[in-house]
Amino acid sequence: MSSITGDLDYALELFRDMQRENLSYIYRGIFSQKITDNILSLAEGNLTNVGESSTVKKRVFSIMVEGLQNITRHQDENLINEKDRTGIFVIQRKGDNYFITTGNLIDKNHITKLTGQLNKINSLEKDELKKYYKEVLNETEISKKGGAGLGLIEMARKSGNKLAFDFTEVTDTYSFFYLHLEISRSKDDARKDTDKEVNESLKSIKGLHKILNKENILLIFNGIFNQDSLINLLTIIEGHMSTKINLRKRVFNIMVEMLQNIVKHAGKGTVESGNPGIFFISEKNNLYLLNTGNYVLNSKVEELRKKIDYVNELNETDLNNFYNKSLFNFEIDSSKESGLGLIEIRLKSQNKLKYTISKVDEQFSFFALQTGVN
Amino acid sequence: MESLFIEATEATPKINLNSDTGIFLLAERSLPENAFEFYQPILKWLNEYAEEPKEETIVNFKLDYFTTSSAKQIIKIFLSLEELNNTSKVSINWYYKKEDVDMYAIGLKYSKLVNLNLQLKEF
Repeated sequence: MSSITGDLDYALELFRDMQRENLSYIYRGIFSQKITDNILSLAEGNLTNVGESSTVKKRVFSIMVEGLQNITRHQDENLINEKDRTGIFVIQRKGDNYFITTGNLIDKNHITKLTGQLNKINSLEKDELKKYYKEVLNETEISKKGGAGLGLIEMARKSGNKLAFDFTEVTDTYSFFYLHLEISRSKDDARKDTDKEVNESLKSIKGLHKILNKENILLIFNGIFNQDSLINLLTIIEGHMSTKINLRKRVFNIMVEMLQNIVKHAGKGTVESGNPGIFFISEKNNLYLLNTGNYVLNSKVEELRKKIDYVNELNETDLNNFYNKSLFNFEIDSSKESGLGLIEIRLKSQNKLKYTISKVDEQFSFFALQTGVN
Repeated sequence: MESLFIEATEATPKINLNSDTGIFLLAERSLPENAFEFYQPILKWLNEYAEEPKEETIVNFKLDYFTTSSAKQIIKIFLSLEELNNTSKVSINWYYKKEDVDMYAIGLKYSKLVNLNLQLKEF
């Protein structure tokens, strides 16, 4: 058995940043219909689970729909290869605001027109925007791409704020187009300027995007884990992976076990909604790194440490024997536990499990687990 | 007794336990939130079936994927089938897709772990 080359320190750093920023959810990749549907239900479920009001939920949801449509519309262009079609979708909650960012490649020839549209939208007041929407709706024949900027106007109206945007050159022909929106959770009629704060926040997303590209991170989810979000996450990753069946299945296996661990064992959650945690997955040269982070009770830390250290020390034969023994151990057999999850993760990954446990307060510690599969 | 039929969902398998024919099926994937609870009625049904079983019982496993917590429940099904084997001739078909090394390996393992006539079959 080999040891993985992944960098857990980097993972932990990301965890810490996301915790601080309260960053919610990032997907980077191809946006198929199925993946898009699951991204939406994952985000919708999460909004419900954190107890968001239905008004805010509706606004966030409709902006997400428009934003995702923007991405899917543009990824169909005849771009060089799959990797270049990789779009990004980010939803964050920071304090009293939600931020939604979409990013996709566009033909450089479209930049001038798009910039004009966005500036026009940003120059209008609320009532003018409504009028402009009707104007555009009446005048323009809807093109194949469904566009004429109606989606952008709609997003601006729903968010109640101006649209922040930016372009980054990718090749001679293509640029990456970022669109960044702020949605206030408190009802506020006046439209805010794309002020320094929003531009700063877009800048930080661009920085993050660079890291995601470098590490080839496919998905980050920082939210509430329950059976529904587990199924959504699995479907997204299943739809994303084009590798051969055995690797795909092993990644799937391990992912289910890791996520179920959060659903069943993590602390700080509620029975009704689920447990808070973080999951992210990256892939480099067919090595998949799966990471989870969640709270555990300080009183459970020693037992957890012992369990992981124990399975880490076993060789493949002993691991298999231990698995079989645990399979028939019906003293551990309840709705909570089968006693097999960690052994399976270790067996399937064929790598040692990397983990850290750091004390957060008198009651909880933060448990980060990384599994490499290749 | 009545047959037991449970439609598959994205997290739970299709279950078809036919008391008239003595042919059983567990198919698709099993990753329920609570495997212990999901498999309770199935184990209970098997116990009742064992009181008046068919002469022959055929159990077809056509699973794509199952979690470790489901694995433990499946082992309990096997143990219950071992018991049943005293009164009904039980044979088990463990189906795997050709390229699915994993499901084949699990079937092979189970054939050694349980005392039952278990055939590995491609589908």
